[in-house]
Amino acid sequence: MAILPRSWAVIIANVLTPLAVLVFSSGFFPYKPLIPGLARFEDGGNHTATPKAFDKVIFMVIDALRSDFVYSNNSGFLFTQSLIRSGAALPFTAYASSPTVTMPRLKAITTGSKPSFLDVILNIAESDTSSTLAYQDTWLAQLKANGGQLVMYGDDTWLKLFPGMFERADGTTSFFVSDFIEVDNNVTRHVSTELSRDDWSAFIMHYLGLDHIGHKAGPQSPYMTTKQQEMDSIVANIYTSMEQQQHLQSTLFVLCGDHGMNDAGNHGGSSVGETSPALLFISPKFQALDILRQSPTDSHSDFQYYRTVDQTDITPTLAGLLGLPIPLNSLGVFIPELLDLWETRSQRIDVLLSNSRQILRKMTEMFPNRSFDINSMNIACDSGPLVGVDLALCAWFRVNILLQNSGGADKNDLYSELESALFVFLKHAQEVIRSAASDYDLRNLLLGLAITSFVVLLPLPTIYTLLCKSWCAGAFFALCLLGYGGMMFASSYVEEEQQFWNWMFTAWVFCLHVRSSILPRCSMPSQERNTRFYRLYDLSYSNFGALALLLSHRVLRRWNQTGQKFATEPDIARTFFPSHRLILWFLVILTYANTCRHLLAHRLSKLWQLCCVTMALSALLLKLSYVASDSPELLPEALLVLWKRVFDGGSTVLFTRLVVIGIMFLIPLSMCIRNTPQLLVPSTVFHDALTLFLVTQSRATNIPIFLILRAHANILATMNLSALELAITSLIAQYMTFFAFGGSNSIATVDLSNAYNGIGTYNVVLVGILTFISNWAGPIWWVSAAQALRLNQARHERESHMAVLTFHMAATLMSVMAACTILRSHLFIWTVFSPKYLYAMAWAILNHLAVNLLGEVLHLISSKLANHSAVELL
Amino acid sequence: MASPPPSPLTTNSAASAPPDTSNKPAAPPVNILPTQLATTYSYIHPAALLSAFAARFPALVNDPVSEMAQQLPFLALAHVAYVMICLPAAGTDSAATAAATPTSPSTPTAATSSASSTTTATTTGSRTNGNVILRPGRVGRRRTKDSSSSSSSTASAIRGRVVASLLSLTLTTLLATPVLSILLILFGAPFTTHHAQTVLCAAHMAILSSLALVYVHGVDGNVWKEVWGAKRPGDVVWGGALGTCVGAWLGAVPVPLDWDRPWQAYPITLLTGAYVGFVLGSVLGRSVLFGKRVRFEEGEDVKKVD
Repeated sequence: MAILPRSWAVIIANVLTPLAVLVFSSGFFPYKPLIPGLARFEDGGNHTATPKAFDKVIFMVIDALRSDFVYSNNSGFLFTQSLIRSGAALPFTAYASSPTVTMPRLKAITTGSKPSFLDVILNIAESDTSSTLAYQDTWLAQLKANGGQLVMYGDDTWLKLFPGMFERADGTTSFFVSDFIEVDNNVTRHVSTELSRDDWSAFIMHYLGLDHIGHKAGPQSPYMTTKQQEMDSIVANIYTSMEQQQHLQSTLFVLCGDHGMNDAGNHGGSSVGETSPALLFISPKFQALDILRQSPTDSHSDFQYYRTVDQTDITPTLAGLLGLPIPLNSLGVFIPELLDLWETRSQRIDVLLSNSRQILRKMTEMFPNRSFDINSMNIACDSGPLVGVDLALCAWFRVNILLQNSGGADKNDLYSELESALFVFLKHAQEVIRSAASDYDLRNLLLGLAITSFVVLLPLPTIYTLLCKSWCAGAFFALCLLGYGGMMFASSYVEEEQQFWNWMFTAWVFCLHVRSSILPRCSMPSQERNTRFYRLYDLSYSNFGALALLLSHRVLRRWNQTGQKFATEPDIARTFFPSHRLILWFLVILTYANTCRHLLAHRLSKLWQLCCVTMALSALLLKLSYVASDSPELLPEALLVLWKRVFDGGSTVLFTRLVVIGIMFLIPLSMCIRNTPQLLVPSTVFHDALTLFLVTQSRATNIPIFLILRAHANILATMNLSALELAITSLIAQYMTFFAFGGSNSIATVDLSNAYNGIGTYNVVLVGILTFISNWAGPIWWVSAAQALRLNQARHERESHMAVLTFHMAATLMSVMAACTILRSHLFIWTVFSPKYLYAMAWAILNHLAVNLLGEVLHLISSKLANHSAVELL
Repeated sequence: MASPPPSPLTTNSAASAPPDTSNKPAAPPVNILPTQLATTYSYIHPAALLSAFAARFPALVNDPVSEMAQQLPFLALAHVAYVMICLPAAGTDSAATAAATPTSPSTPTAATSSASSTTTATTTGSRTNGNVILRPGRVGRRRTKDSSSSSSSTASAIRGRVVASLLSLTLTTLLATPVLSILLILFGAPFTTHHAQTVLCAAHMAILSSLALVYVHGVDGNVWKEVWGAKRPGDVVWGGALGTCVGAWLGAVPVPLDWDRPWQAYPITLLTGAYVGFVLGSVLGRSVLFGKRVRFEEGEDVKKVD
């Protein structure tokens, strides 16, 4: 009787979870209030006095153009480097703040403001149009308002951000990462026609190929240099046109990356590689400035070449150079090197003054209760160290004193003093605005937290009785949860979460070892266990099971270095395999063979064996073809040549679909064939078919991990774990493998390389599902493996399993929410804690609700079906 | 056949089964020798160990490898002195009889089975009955030895202890250090780099944990089976050994923090944890947890310790 309300409590808890997540998210990711409308020059014609330096702009964005791709010694940008040497190109490193994904970065480049973290999600859910910049002040809108025409080719994010802004445009989908060539050709084919036309005032290009190469094969890929050379030839083409064509005489050419990439070729986080894209202002006019620089050169610190500016500085600089009012929400500072384009000092001061006034207005908006009136200043600027707004205010105060003193007299040293005072103010103001905390909806935060706490409380009675029954494992579980909860409040532990799970896993293995050496080794009363072979198998596992678990876990731990602190250390997937390709492929084939063997063991019929072998072979061929097209450096040359000769031009999309349908077909087929042999290890057809699918959906270098996972499951199967122990094992293994596959709590490690397998046209839902599956392959496998291990569990044991999982999900979600609420003004909130919250959401909604619960429901249905058929047979 | 393990065993229903294959009980918990010197020194030793470690900590941070290597002989010497003064040695008659008379459970007796004595003792049959064996004659003999304080017998006893301690030191170096190195690596220590650090850390841990175990229990298979299963009854020796290992495991906690302090480098925190764990483990082992066995719930029992 008591079971009913308890299982209902678990069900209600699961139903409430999405609600809690929704409420909390709405409070945590608020839309930032922005100043509406377009900026205008104040007091009429007075300030337009500063003549514009350029009429037109060619704005070329190369996605993920990290600074060293252009500036370093092994760059392919040889022509661009010659421009730097001649002084025609002014090179910078543009600091791109986290989140380093395309849409927020484009917002920063065009509005000059710091985009909200919400844009990361919107960047992934690309179909969303609420993030449009159509009604915001950008330099594009300013150009258009001043009668200019804009054209745009490349990443269609621009088209979504600026609907109706462009006269001519041709967008390419930015999420189809497996294509390196078409995306860029689609832009390049428009370049020469647009260069010969003179009707545009802004010509925007956004090349995606380089980013795709990064995602697929990393920054060291052999494709990278070729792509850089291709991009360099486009720069050369444009620059020559600028020199030769009359209508391009007064054109500014901006070449920049929207963000960089880390050593794995991904981006989204805040590592120095990701936040350091290149930025170049190019024009023959700059040669007159006589700034000669060395190129190629060495970075003075990680990825910092030449001077580092803020990415938001592009906006006021462009606005100033093109003679436009600076967009209202900009917090950028005019880049000083470009000031020299104006000859008279007063013009330079005017440019800086309009920049200062605009940023002061923004500050006034952000701090409505502060007085920014010079006359009512009541801060003692000379006394003691100042912080925040006061510092900026005092700098502004000093500017004003200097302005009053100038009195129109054209004194050179006064001007230079004024100039530096203005820069001091601008820098301080930028810092103040940037670091100002976002407005959270605290009510929603707390409400979401309260709902989650309720979700935690619901299964608590069940959990409490469970934990008390075997308080040994229970205490471990409780301590694990407490440790995890506490860890969520420390940014470095969030970054290095894999350490926690590895650490917990070793302790848990030790617990299991101690427990199994105490418990009498009584096998389950199933008959197959009494065979001689099984006893041997059992014996070897039981005596050295824990050691084998530890050993294989130690290998797994080194498979993918992840996190922040030790991420660049050598590991198996990225360091060992590329130089030991034969071992990799031996292991990959072994994995497929092992999966095939497990599938074969389920049924005895010839038809079944034929189907299984066919599926495993074709899945392996499919994987080979993916690797041959995406990361050929992993294939031995001979094999690659052979592959290209035999299979080139085949449609992988169709092939993929056939393989997936074939794998799914195995399950109904297995139901038709009835002669089932006895299995050595607990497994289901579903589990093995799923393994085959997950293997194919993983990176080639991660495929051998499935061998280790299989060994883990086999060892655990001999340990006679209780329901609670199995639940804990399943949980720890799910988290541990997620990180072993290379996952982390940074957006940057979201692996998109398998997100487009078998997808012809971009489809948000399918790509989302495939992204999740390829990133959570390990956890999904463990959910399924735990199902297979729990086949003989009684109903109440299954319920307690779900209760444990639900409780764990709710408790971890609650601790992440609590950390995000309490630390909402922490320095790392957007770089560490928000990504963690996004991951916690994925763990709760996708991994727990979709995978764990779905697995349970599937099991219930299949066991019902089995019961029915058994009844019918009787 | 299988007799229940020695008396001060706390069991829960799930884990009440006797140790697997043994049909004779492993050695009961061991106590510090009841002499004034041993008792005093057993308190001085951990304190001295910790203070020396604290004093040398800056040097350790500065150059872990050479400092660990330099301190290793001193640690070995100090620990050999500790086991010789405070603990009953395996295989020496005096060791088995060093304990006081078996009276109250608060002052449990120490009886140690040794490699040599087990083989003979098992045949006597008295062993199979399990508990603390104190053959009456021996106590008396020991007493007479003590009272007579014949210099030759004292010298031979000391010689026996020296031999035992040197033997255990050799075994510790040859066996426990590699085993602990492997365990360190299995628990996550670097495999391709930091070899010197790992081995030295393992050597320190081996001296802290295994020296006393070998000195007291020799190569008694039953004891080592219990050690392998981590289910020795709590005493000063086993407490210290388990404390060392758990301390080192907990010592890994500060490593991932982004504080960028030099002491966060790999073996330092582990070694600190091992030393602190040793001291806490020995103190708790001889007092609160004396005679208690780590049940399956080792994980949390151990955490309580720390």
